[in-house]
Parts: sequence; C-alpha cells; structure tokens
Amino acid sequence: MATDPAVRTVTLTIDGRAVTVPPGTTVYQAARAAGIEIPIFCYHDRMPPLGACRMCLVKVDRMGKLQTSCTLPAADGMVVSTTDPEVVAGQEAILEFLLINHPLDCPICDKGGECPLQDQTFRWGPGRSRFVEAKRDFAKPVSLGPVLTLDRERCILCWRCVRFGEIIAGDDALKGFERGFTSEINTPFTLPVESKFIGNTIAICPVGALTSRTYRFRARPWDNEPVPSTCTHCGLGCAVWFDVRGGEIVRTRAREAPAVNDIWLCDLGFFGHDYVASGERLTAPLVRRDGRLTQASWEEALDLVASRLRAARDRAPGRVAFLGGRRLSNEDALVAARLFGEVIGTPHRDHRVDAPPGGASLEVAWGLRAPLEEIARGDVFLLVGCDVTEEYPILWLRMKAAVDRGAALLLLHARRLEVRRHARWERLVRADRLAAETGALADALERGAAGPPPGLEAAVAAIAAGRRVHVVVGRFALDGPGGSAVLAAAVRIAEHSGGVLHVARGKGNDIGAQRFGLLPGAGGWPAPEILRRAAAGDLDVLYVAGSDPATAVTDRSAWDAARRGVGFLVVHEAFLSATAEAADVVLPSLVLPEKDGTVTNLEGRTLPLRAAVRGPGAARGDREIFSLIAARLGALFTYGTGDELFEALRAATPGVEAGAILPVAPVPARLAGDVPAGAVAAGAGGGSAELILATIDHLFTQGATTGRCRGITALAGAPHCLIHPDDAARLGVEPGALVELATGHGAVVLQARVTDVTAPGQVLLPRGFDAVSAYALVRWPHAVVAVTVRPLVAAAAGGAP
Amino acid sequence: MSGPPARPLGAEARAEIARLVGLYEHRQSALLPALFVAQREHGYLSPEALAGVAEALDLPVSEVASVASFYRLFYLKPVGRHVIQVCTNLACMLNGCAAVVRRFGERLGVASGETTADGRFTLRTVECLAACEEAPAVLVDEDRWARVTPGDIDRLLERYP
Amino acid sequence: MTTFAMPESIVLRWAQTPGMTELEPYRRAGGYEAARRVAAGELAPEAVIEALVASGLRGKGGAGFPTGQKWKFIPRQAPVTYVVVNGDEGEPCTFKDRTLLEGAPHLLIEGVLIAALTVGARKAYVYLRREFYRARRTLEAALEQARAAGLVGRGVFGSARDVEIVVHSGAGAYIAGEETALLESLEGRRALPRLRPPFPAQAGLYQRPTLLNNVETLCHVPVILTLGPERYKDYGPPALFSVSGHVVRPGVYEAPLGVKLRSLIFDYAGGLRPGRRFKAAFPGGSSSMPLVADHLDVPMDYDSLRVLGSMLGSAAVIVIDDSADMVEIIARTVEFYREESCGKCTPCREGTIWATQVLERILHGRGRPEDLALLEGIARGMTGTCFCPLGESVPPSLVASLRHFRDEYERYIAGATRGH
Ligand SMILES: Cc1cc2nc3c(=O)[nH]c(=O)nc-3n(C[C@H](O)[C@H](O)[C@H](O)COP(=O)(O)O)c2cc1C
Ligand code: SF4
Ligand code: FES
Repeated sequence: MATDPAVRTVTLTIDGRAVTVPPGTTVYQAARAAGIEIPIFCYHDRMPPLGACRMCLVKVDRMGKLQTSCTLPAADGMVVSTTDPEVVAGQEAILEFLLINHPLDCPICDKGGECPLQDQTFRWGPGRSRFVEAKRDFAKPVSLGPVLTLDRERCILCWRCVRFGEIIAGDDALKGFERGFTSEINTPFTLPVESKFIGNTIAICPVGALTSRTYRFRARPWDNEPVPSTCTHCGLGCAVWFDVRGGEIVRTRAREAPAVNDIWLCDLGFFGHDYVASGERLTAPLVRRDGRLTQASWEEALDLVASRLRAARDRAPGRVAFLGGRRLSNEDALVAARLFGEVIGTPHRDHRVDAPPGGASLEVAWGLRAPLEEIARGDVFLLVGCDVTEEYPILWLRMKAAVDRGAALLLLHARRLEVRRHARWERLVRADRLAAETGALADALERGAAGPPPGLEAAVAAIAAGRRVHVVVGRFALDGPGGSAVLAAAVRIAEHSGGVLHVARGKGNDIGAQRFGLLPGAGGWPAPEILRRAAAGDLDVLYVAGSDPATAVTDRSAWDAARRGVGFLVVHEAFLSATAEAADVVLPSLVLPEKDGTVTNLEGRTLPLRAAVRGPGAARGDREIFSLIAARLGALFTYGTGDELFEALRAATPGVEAGAILPVAPVPARLAGDVPAGAVAAGAGGGSAELILATIDHLFTQGATTGRCRGITALAGAPHCLIHPDDAARLGVEPGALVELATGHGAVVLQARVTDVTAPGQVLLPRGFDAVSAYALVRWPHAVVAVTVRPLVAAAAGGAP
Repeated sequence: MSGPPARPLGAEARAEIARLVGLYEHRQSALLPALFVAQREHGYLSPEALAGVAEALDLPVSEVASVASFYRLFYLKPVGRHVIQVCTNLACMLNGCAAVVRRFGERLGVASGETTADGRFTLRTVECLAACEEAPAVLVDEDRWARVTPGDIDRLLERYP
Repeated sequence: MTTFAMPESIVLRWAQTPGMTELEPYRRAGGYEAARRVAAGELAPEAVIEALVASGLRGKGGAGFPTGQKWKFIPRQAPVTYVVVNGDEGEPCTFKDRTLLEGAPHLLIEGVLIAALTVGARKAYVYLRREFYRARRTLEAALEQARAAGLVGRGVFGSARDVEIVVHSGAGAYIAGEETALLESLEGRRALPRLRPPFPAQAGLYQRPTLLNNVETLCHVPVILTLGPERYKDYGPPALFSVSGHVVRPGVYEAPLGVKLRSLIFDYAGGLRPGRRFKAAFPGGSSSMPLVADHLDVPMDYDSLRVLGSMLGSAAVIVIDDSADMVEIIARTVEFYREESCGKCTPCREGTIWATQVLERILHGRGRPEDLALLEGIARGMTGTCFCPLGESVPPSLVASLRHFRDEYERYIAGATRGH
C-alpha cells in the first residue's frame, strides 16, 4: 500500500472512465470527483472512513470480495465497477437489511424529502422487502434534552452522530450502547444530552432518527425558502441558511464556509432564531408621556428625538453620547458614527457597553489576530480566562482538530473548562490569582532553562517547543482583577514564543462597531465614563442602539445612576428591554436576521447579512432611523441601495472586502495601568466573607433575545451559581439548594450547583440571566467583590432540574 | 449539571484503580479492570459506580457507560450474591444442557437473566465457556462445574449460601 | 477395532505433565532454556524468526497466518513495541488455550519472553477472557515465580533487557478475540474491529507496532527452538485439536496436522456413543462450515479444508451424531453470532437477527416453503459484505445445512415442531 513519494497522482478506471487523483484518495472520493455517485451512509467527508454501513460497495478487478469504496485507497491501475450486477445485489442486500427494522413512517418524518435513506432506497433499493418478522420496537421517540429528539427505531446505526461527538466536537455527547442487534444510540441513562454542538448531529443524521424538538413537524423541507446569511450571536460569524416559511424563520442550518465554520454551527446558532418571530417584538414607537411609555407615530417620535438632539448639540455637541453597536450591522454602525460624529459632532461613542472601567478591555482592540484557518494549524493554544466552548464554540472545533493532530491545549482559568479532557495542562486558580499566574508563566518562559516553578513545567515545555503558538485572552481575564497585568503577561508570552495574541472579546457585531466608528473619537469618553458623566449630569441626551445597557453594564448601579442623571434617553429596541423600559423614546428596530448588509466577525472578516424575513409592524432598520434623524438635523445621507452603502464602507475603511479579513489593530506593546491586582471590595458584613464573586460566560443564557428562543432558554436552565464542594460543606450548602448571595451592594437568590468546576474560595455566577443579574452585586471600580452565601432551603429531592 | 451525582468510589477502590492505570501507556486501558473493581464494590455498575469510574479515570461518563454496556460481564442492573452461568453453546447443547437450565430455573424460580427474590442467585445462560470437554459446563461465580446433570443441582446450590 | 497408539505429544505434554504449573519442575524439564538463550544473545532475533519460518508454524487463533512472517513484519527500530497475547478463546468449543494456561503457564510465559525479546518489546499483555478464573490464577502465580526468579521484569535472565508481562481480563465479548477488536478492548473501548490496514504489526496497541499471537501459537515457540524446526516438523507439525460434542472422550488432542477427521473422532476421542451414527462435524469451531459423513477422510489441514469450503480455524472439532436436530444446531450457531455481533456493520447486525427470526419461526412450526430461499438470500446478502469475519462465518454453515439437511428443514415446514 506504500505510495511512492515521487508519484504525485494515481490513475484508476471507474466504470470504464480513467480517473486521476492524488495519492491517498479513496475510491469513493475518486468516483465522486469524476461525477460518479456511490451511495453512502456512514461515511462523512469531515471524518475518517469507518466502513460500517457497507453501502458503498464496489467491485474491483482481482479482488475477490466486494470492497467498501469509502475505505479503499485508490491505486494506480485499479479497475473499479460501481454498476456490476454483484455490486447491485450487494447494495440491495444492504438496503434491505437496513430497512428491515426501519419504520416506514416517511410521511410524518421530518427528514422526509431530504432523507438519504429515502433517496437511496428509491435509487438502489430492492423495491420490496421480504421481511415478515416483527420490527424492532423501541419506546416511541425519547427526548434527549430541550432541543433533541431521538427515534431509535429510525436509526440505521451509521455512527455519524457518535463520531461527530468523539472526533469533531470532542464532547462525547451521544454514544453507542449495548451491541449487536440491540445496539442503540443514546446518552447514558437517556439523560439530556450535554453538548453545545448537537444540532450538527441532526444535520448529518442520514435518517430521521435525530430531529430538532423546536423544528419537529413544523415544515416540510420543500416548503422552506432558504436564505443565506450570517449568524450574529457569538461574533465568529458562522455562515447560515435561515429556512423561511410563511414569513418566519423555522430553522437555521449551517451554510458551508470553509474559512469560518466549515459546515458546522453551535447550538446557539441552530436554535437561536425564535426571538425574531416573538410576539413581544415592538411594532410602534413609544414615547414617554406623563411618566408612561405610550405609542406614538414615527413622525412624532423622530421629531421629538431630533429636537432634543438639536437642543443638546446647540448647547454643546459633547452633551450627547451614543452607546451600543453589537447588534448593529456594519452599515448601521457607519451611519450611526456619521450621525453622531459628523452631524452632531460628539466624540462620546462607544460600543463597549459591557466593559468595566479600568479593565484591559478598554485598552486593546478586540478580535482575533489570525484567521481561524491559521489557528487550526496552531500547535500550542494557551487559553487565559477564555472559556472557549461557552464563548466561541466554533473556535473550539478548530482547536480540537489541531489538538487531535498533536497540538497542546493549555488552560488557565478560574473554572474548569469542559474541554479540559483534551488539555495537556490545566491550571485552576481563583479569579484574583489569574494575573499572578499568567505573570508567573511569562516569567518562567523568559527565565528559560532556570527551571519553571512546580506546576508550570508542562505549560512551559509546550510553549517553548511550540512553533505556532496562539495565546487567547478572554473576557474573564481582561475584565477581571488585574486584567491589564494578564494582558501584559500574555503579550510577553506571545512575544517570547513568537506566537499570536488574540483578544477573544466581543459578541455580535462588536468588531464591526469597533471598525466603523462606534469608538470614542478624539477626547471622547469610553462607555463607563459616558455612564459616569451621565450620572453627573454632564449629558443631555443618551442615545442607545444595538445594546441593552441595563443588563449589559457590569455594574447595575452605574447604569441606574446614568439613567437618573441624563435628561433624555433614546433607545432603538426590538423588545421592551430593561433599557427600553427606562427610555424616553423607544424606536422599534429590526433585528439582524431582518437586515441586508454586512457584519464583521472576530477575525475582522466582512460577512454578508441577508434579510430573511420582514420586521414586524412599523419596526425599521437602525440605519434608516439614523438617516431619518440626520435628515431632521439637516444632513441628507443619500445611500440608495445596500451596495452603495457597502461602497461607503469600503471608502471609509480601505481593505474592507466582502468575505475578506481586514485585521484588527495590533495590541499595543505598552499597556496602561489598572486596578491593582487582587483589589477586592469588602463585602457585606464588613469584609468577613471569605468568598469572592466572579461572573462567567455561558453560551446558553436567558437574555432579551436568548430568553425568547425556546430551545436556548431551556438549555440555559435555571439561574444558578457554582460553588466549590469544600466551601459548600463549610457553609452548609446542599447541592441544588437555593442560596442567597449577598455583597455590600445587593443580594440575589438562586440555585447553588456544588461542583469542583470552580476553584475553592470563589462563587462563579453566569451572566446573561436577566432575571437574576450578577451585576446587581458588583460595584465599580472593583472587578471582584467579596460575597456571603446563605443557604435558604435544603435541596429539593432530585437536586438540580 | 445533570447526570448522577458522583459518589466517589471507596478509598481502596480508588487506590486499586490508580495502580491499574500505571500498567498501561494510556489511562483508558484501565477502564475494563476498573469497572470490575467498581462492580465488586457496588455489587453492580450503578450510575454512581459508573460516575465514580469516570471520575477516577478522567473519562466522560458517556464513554464509561457505553463501554460497560458492550460487555456481558458488566452488570448494569443489580445481580444476586452468586451468578450462575450455564453454557448453552453447541457442546453443552449436545450433552443435555437444556435439562440443566430447566432444572436451575425450577429450583430457583427464575428465568435466565433473572435474580431470585432473596437476592441469592442470578441465573444466566451464556455462550461457550471453553470447557467443552466437561459439558455441560456451569460457572458459579469463579468456580467451574463439570458435567453437571439436573440431579447435581441441589447439592451444587447448597455450596453457595 | 485395532487399538490406537496416540503419538507422543511435544506441546500438549507440558500441560499434561503434573507439576508443570511450578517454576522448578518446568525448568528441570528444560523449560526457559530457549528463552535464556535468546536473552543471552546466543540466539539472535533473526535466528529465532528463521526457525519459526522453517518450522511452518501457523497461527493457532483461527486465521492460520504464518507466525515467522508475522514476527518479521514488526519494524525493528520502533521506539515502543508491544506483544499482545490473545487468550480470549471464545470460538465455540475451542478449549486448547485454557488447557495450556491451566497446565503449562510457564510454557506460555517463555513463549511471550521469546517473542518480546525478538521483536524488541518491553511490555506484553495477556488478554484472557474473564471466565478463565482458574487459568488467570495459575498464570499470575507462575508469573510471580518467574518474576521472583528474575525471568520476567527488569533485566530478564540477568541481561539488560526488561520484559514486563501484564495479565488483562476481558469482560465477555466473543468479538474481542478478533485481533483489532481485542486491541480496542485493551485500550478500554468497545470491542469493535478496526479497519485494516494498518495491521497491528504496523499500528496496533496505542498505534504502536504490536505482535499479536494466540496462546497456543506462543506455546509452540519454545518447543520449536528447543527441538529445532526440523524435528518439530517431524511431529506433523503438531496441532492441538479440541474435540467435543457427541464423542466418548472429549478433550484436547495433539495430532499431526493433516490427521484424518475420522481418526480424530474415532481414534483420539474414543468414537461415538454406542449405537450412534456420525451425522456432521464442524472441523474448526462453529465458524467453520460443517462437514458430513462423506468428508470423514479429509486431512485436517489448512488447504484440504479450504478446498471443501470449510477451514481449520481454531481446530475445534464439534462432533454431531444422528440424535441431533440439524435445524436446531444451525439456529443455535446463528443465534450465537447474533448475540456476539458487535453491531458495527449492517449485514452482520441485521442479517443475524433476521436469520434467527426466520429459523425460530421454522422451529416453531410456522415456517413457509419460501423461507428456505429467504434464508439463502439472507446468507447471500451477508456473504462478502461484512466488516469482519464474524458476520462472514454465518453464511457457509447456513448454506451447507440447507444443502445437506434440507429434508430436516422441510419436515419442520411441513408441520413438525421442535423435537418433532
Ligand atoms: C470473530 C473472531 C474471533 C476470534 N477469536 C479469537 C480468539 O478467541 N483467540 C484467538 O487467539 N484468536 C481469535 N481470532 C483470531 C485473531 O483475530 C487473530 O487472527 C489471532 O489471534 C492471531 O494470532 P495467531 O496468528 O497466533 O493465530 C478471532 C478472529 C475472529 C474474526
Ligand atoms: S461482521 Fe460487522 S457487526 Fe459483525 S462483528 Fe464484524 S464488524 Fe461487528
Ligand atoms: S459509506 Fe462506506 S461503509 Fe458506510
């Protein structure tokens, strides 16, 4: 089987046609390249061949048995037939075997119409079955959590879903159980599946065994109109199809994009579209009258906003500030920047609404500094305070592929990551130790041979040996205590190893907002300062679009004070969010899946948005609203079509091209100061508390949009906090019990999950649950506060839901 | 956090598993032996036992449960104090194992795969035990019984209180 | 009937001589001398392999692959190489490995040492099926003795070579006897066969070069080195036959390869029970196609059996007399494969369940005339389409029984039920 390295191609004959392919190509791939179709079930081109289903049989000259073409390397001079009567008989036999236990419920099966088994039975099947025995009978469809349904009797055991979890996602979510004819795909004890990628298994299941609970029975595929667009949740900008039926997005599917998401999506992408069609969308402008928000016409609302803006501008342009941008398109951001920068003339614009003051998030441009494809070729990944699957799931798939090829995954965080099983080195530290640990690692690397301190050896060795090192600093590190110190240490590590430093920060279109002018202009204030100035009465108008600062600002009291201090608050919103509720004027806006235009992903890549559906009622696009206001202020933005706007983008920022990467600004070598590392504000009870509180990111949350997606809300589960078993034991906290977390600033009640996923001495609180806001407990400038934990009631029987 | 709460295995079991890990280049190789350790401690592979093994070997519970379910000698449901395995493959079949199986069933009041109400015995019919010169062959716990006849069964059972 | 003098045995005798489970008697009888010579460098690896090639030794696990060749395939200079011993012995009615393990553990240990020293492995795993409790105890005790005597572990026989031997037990799965499934199982996974190539010799345990041999195969090795390949060959070369079923003296017999089936049954195993007539025999475990009376004079060797469409397999002869019901027997074997199918590939997983359903129906008097063609069709669908030999074992027996014992099927279909 050895291939002569000098031979660059092999030529074989398939069905009488000469086919030339590179060495290592399988017969199946060669046939496919030549346009010859061979039926498959288990083979999937993103995974190594398995040869289990035996569907892809071919006959090869001088080989006695039929061969599975998916596993057979093409060889020079091989003569292959895909149509020989023996092949036909073999394929008929396999299909007959597959169908003996497969129910014939195609008319009610979601897969009907896009089912490989159905199609192949039609083309290659025996026509009728000789099977008269009782079919295998499993209990009817079982639900494996909020988004996945399993029909075991439909399963043909191709193992794709299992192998996806093992090979692509690395989460081992679905597994094979039992063996032989009792084999089945399942989770242990049929518990809810634990995965962030399970939608992909639905997509690659060749039958209707795995179906989406949110899509089940909602549409037949031929009724759907697929619209190509981009997912705007986490910021990586995965290519998607929005399948639209009756003016509604009924499902999201991955669209192949080799450079970004390949053919995969995370479950936030798969199941995160329901909010678009929510009945709670705002459909008309709201204006505060007598203290209450009441419906108004667009004319009235826009006139009011324009007059307040004009008045403020006339007093001083700097008495207007703009916050937000994450949920705007590039074009929206550009028009917003022109309105506030040119027409009003205020430098106070910032999309970094969720950045705390003094943190490192305000010191560097956000974004990856290398394309995902290059990251996939990395040989060392050091993740500092970045929970990759919770924040940027598709980035993990790239890393996983590299890890399988031998790359070293090194983890430094205050929580144990789900991907830790794949890590070569893991360090779990309390949030306030992250800076010191990162510094120690940088020191050890620079000291070189001197011998790293105990515990760091494996990390130092891996980084020292690495040739393509990627250091990824996440939000937890940047915004935590000593964020600047972490960043500075990460810069040193990247420099020492000749690696790349990534600032894994930003969601939605944050990078587009950063690029197209929603950053402070000369003398402008960053977001926390805008809030402080608003509170101090230095602003007349605060204008918010593409953000919900009431839930996003990491100190709730800072937002509340800002709101109180500012005379006039304008908000573009799709829902009556907490920010909208507090506004003077609420302008109903479209959400990204309703827009044409572009967004910028974390790589700095320009990606297309295509309006999949129309917005509800009188809701309008953000840039249209900005233009209408600009017109009232005497400035005529004459962008006709979307293309003209895109031209304006390219003119404003040379290097912007559809689909291409324009790198984000480099990380400065010198970084500004920071809150002293480890500064912890005293908690309730005069600092007697021994625990500190830190907030972490979750992929599945219950915010304004995610809270309106059935699957996502359910995946997010109840608001909860994580507490270490040692601390729980000391404080008498039972697993699953309700606890009160109190700091000097506030208290919340939620469920305690007792787990060693968190380091001892700290309580981790996921953000993104609007009902129980972590930010009510935090007070700037402290990134970390002391917290007391008080058990309220014992765990209900059965523990966590 | 779903899945059964991990009740760690006893210290002895954990030490034994740690020793087993040392015998192999990759820790997952210790999985089958470790499952036997857990099975011995818990009597069968309860969800807790599986979780304990997963934790001890740093493997996903799904993988541990999947592997355990593949092999016939891992018990995912409780079994009796003594497990009786009666070979029913060809040599034993040709030498009258059917009568032996029947007699066991009558004496114990259980069918193959079942456990007596008092929790003393589990009866299983199994594939070839590689003791065909002694057919019909029966394995009770770790003891092999040769040329078992229906008449032997009362005496045999008495040996296993 | 003339009295038959069983020829002297050279391998099995180690297991039949009392006391051979102990180190000292084994050494006094000349044991461990071959391993010592290999460890001391008196016998170079090349010489060992040459002797194996010259001996004609073929794997005793079932596939019959030439052992010398296999050892040659192991790359020399690999950083880590393993020896894995297949002691899963799951093939129905095969019990020779258990006999050797219980009677002559040191013979196996010596074979493993020679293998490890020859291919440069520092570690060997003996994968024993779980049910071999006694064999495992015996082997562990023997290993303890050998270790204490410096024959196993660090610096074996005072040389600079380390050879550690670890006993690993399976957990109840016939497929784990298939070599690649065994490696998966040894790596702690479900015992699913792997795609080949790569073969274990290139990428076996943990993707390292791995020499994998059957217990009996390795027990032949010290004998070959001690006697020399030529004298070894004079004994047949010898093979261990497990003879069971309807014979007077079931047991393991060492006989020259090529011994007549008739002789094995009537000379070695004492013949059939009084008044019984020969009906059929599986010559190489239930995976081999059964032979009938016409075949009694076939020489029991690889080629002669292959010509008949059967195989020597694990040399387990299952003898069936005229009291037996062939439909029941075939139904039972197909049921065995159904129970032991790993479930990875379609034809084996579905074909075995379908065929047993049809056979059960026939046995319960609910057969239809077209069922015989259906069974043939299922067999055809499984032929040449399965991932591994387990599934491929079903069609030959099924088809042979439909040919030779069609009348028995027809009787059931005509209305008879099990047991007539
Ligand atoms: C389904 C199946 C089961 C097998 N079971 C065993 C077994 O129990 N013991 C064994 O030594 N070989 C068994 N084999 C054969 C092995 O795959 C392999 O050929 C053998 O162990 C190699 O050793 P050898 O060359 O010394 O014979 C089995 C093969 C198959 C396909
Ligand atoms: S033939 Fe297929 S299902 Fe059967 S044991 Fe082999 S791989 Fe498994
Ligand atoms: S596609 Fe080739 S065996 Fe399944």
